[in-house]
Amino acid sequence: MATRQRRLSESPIVPVTDERRELRDAVAQLVGRYGRTYFQDVVKRGEQPDALWADLGAAGFLGAHVSEPYGGGGGFADTAVVIEECAAQGCPIQYLVISPTICSTILDHHASDAIKEEWLHGMADGSKRMCFGITEPDAGTNTHDLSTTATPHPDGGWRINGGKYWTTGATVADALIVVARDADIGPSGKPTLSLFIVEKDAPGLTIQPLDSALTTAEKSFTVFYDDVPVKPGNLIGEQGKGLQQLFAGLNPERIAAASLANGMALFALEKASQYAKDRTVWTQPIGAHQGVAHPLAKAYIDVQLARLMTMRAAELFDAGSPAAGEAANMAKLAAADACLQALDQAMQTHGGNGLSLEVGIADLYFLARMLKVAPVSREMVLNHIAQHSLGLPKSY
Amino acid sequence: MTKIVVLVKEVPDAAVQKQVDSSTGRLDRSGEKTLNPFDTHAIEAALQLKESGALDVDEVVAVTVGPSSAVKALHKAVSLGADRSIHLTDDALVGSDVVGTGYALAELIKRESPDLVLAGQQSDDGQSYAVGAAVAEYLGWPGLTQVIKLDVDGQTLTCERQAEYGYDTVKVTLPAVISVGDAINEPRYPSLKAIMGAKKKPLESLSLGDAEIDASKVGEAGRKAVWTGSQEPPAKAAGELIEDEDTAETVEKIVAWLDDRKLI
Repeated sequence: MATRQRRLSESPIVPVTDERRELRDAVAQLVGRYGRTYFQDVVKRGEQPDALWADLGAAGFLGAHVSEPYGGGGGFADTAVVIEECAAQGCPIQYLVISPTICSTILDHHASDAIKEEWLHGMADGSKRMCFGITEPDAGTNTHDLSTTATPHPDGGWRINGGKYWTTGATVADALIVVARDADIGPSGKPTLSLFIVEKDAPGLTIQPLDSALTTAEKSFTVFYDDVPVKPGNLIGEQGKGLQQLFAGLNPERIAAASLANGMALFALEKASQYAKDRTVWTQPIGAHQGVAHPLAKAYIDVQLARLMTMRAAELFDAGSPAAGEAANMAKLAAADACLQALDQAMQTHGGNGLSLEVGIADLYFLARMLKVAPVSREMVLNHIAQHSLGLPKSY
Repeated sequence: MTKIVVLVKEVPDAAVQKQVDSSTGRLDRSGEKTLNPFDTHAIEAALQLKESGALDVDEVVAVTVGPSSAVKALHKAVSLGADRSIHLTDDALVGSDVVGTGYALAELIKRESPDLVLAGQQSDDGQSYAVGAAVAEYLGWPGLTQVIKLDVDGQTLTCERQAEYGYDTVKVTLPAVISVGDAINEPRYPSLKAIMGAKKKPLESLSLGDAEIDASKVGEAGRKAVWTGSQEPPAKAAGELIEDEDTAETVEKIVAWLDDRKLI
């Protein structure tokens, strides 16, 4: 009889429906045909995993959560499974957190039918990509201080001026969603934000690479906006409602980031447990020693806890529950911490081999480390939980 | 217009440790179950015939005999591309042997009168490799096993069979029952739409009475194979380790060892 080892990601502890189990198997089968080596090779050559992306799109896995007319029909919990299983197969695609997660969700929830018609089909089938520009040198976590400004133009539309950094994947996107401050103070008397679509070849757009230690396919960029024109139809939703609209994308972003972390952690733990079973020093496999086994077991427990909260956050988001934000924040924090612990212990288990690219764990480290500060820092999550879950005084 | 029936089965997941229940002599099929992986090659073969236009296929129907849980295997079969499915389920079927299963499947197939029946090479649990042949016998149709290449010319199929000694090329005229080897293709994965829509495709559930199948020929009542006992496979004798201290001497030892067994 054929036997196969159960993948760690298949654990029945994490809630599954028949469809989600099939989805996970299908993603594992699709991504498994590429595998870690393919992904490392793409990253090394400074390219994008285009073939894998196209296959994911063709199978409908890039838009599982968008509305059915645009190629979806599932929930964000389905997309979370896709992201996690890709990473668990050794292909942590950061772009999954950006184009399908942040951008598609914001468009699906708030954009005009014309924008949805133009963009969402392609973003779901993988033929189009968007990236997201929010972070600025002088306004990180505090979105209220953004200085990139959208000024209405006498001929219609807007002109955008300012600069963003850490815009990931800017050079391979077909367009950017930009968060900008409205030049005119609205009826509330307070500054407001709006969301715009800026086409990649818009005049006045300058994109410069931002070198980082990340070993990811998607590079990050500083993007300068010098009187960049935005046509009237490219305002997303309502002018001045940018901040509220952002939340459609930010909770999924946290859930997606947590899924990416959880998947990487599963990949590392799978590798490490196999190695601990196979590697024999003196007379026993090293996994027989509690010094090796217990830290791996503890890391696995923390990953499973993070996965439970992540799936719960996705289900709450899909149900439209106001508790989704709290759960998504907790999931992101728990997943990033659990992933770093799992990677560290997986490397330790491998001894010197833990640093080899053939094992393929060490080069996940900086992406995992990034997830401790992005998309929201550990400290901001703790502030949020302290204030909103525990009722402690506001700290900022 | 051509109709293809694909025979499928629900089996224990390959990650589940399998055991024979000594009180019944049957395989313990508790635990996680899945569509028999070998059947996905038969589904893929049917879809390739349909999509390539090699046959003018208007319908691919997945058929199974099994307990109520087997609907999941049918959902998987339609998510991979079958158009609808048929589930024969009845308490009287419990304990059917290969011949009984072959008879029941043949009766279901007669109701559909397809032009071609495709099956996987084996089930991942029972592993008789023989259900396809039993079905062909009951239908009185040509039956081929281990087919790894199918070429269509009108109503004639030119099939390449994988055999111990090489390949047979066999021509058959439809209707026929063909068990495909797992080397025939690489099965696809279902798309999101197919996964979400699987439960919406028509699934016909039949009892023995509904399908007018003779209950005395299936299950415990009809079985001809009797289980008498089981034993652990004999343990392999420990191999001989030759430490390489002096290479010339090691080579001599290996040559002597092979010579003793008349291998050189």
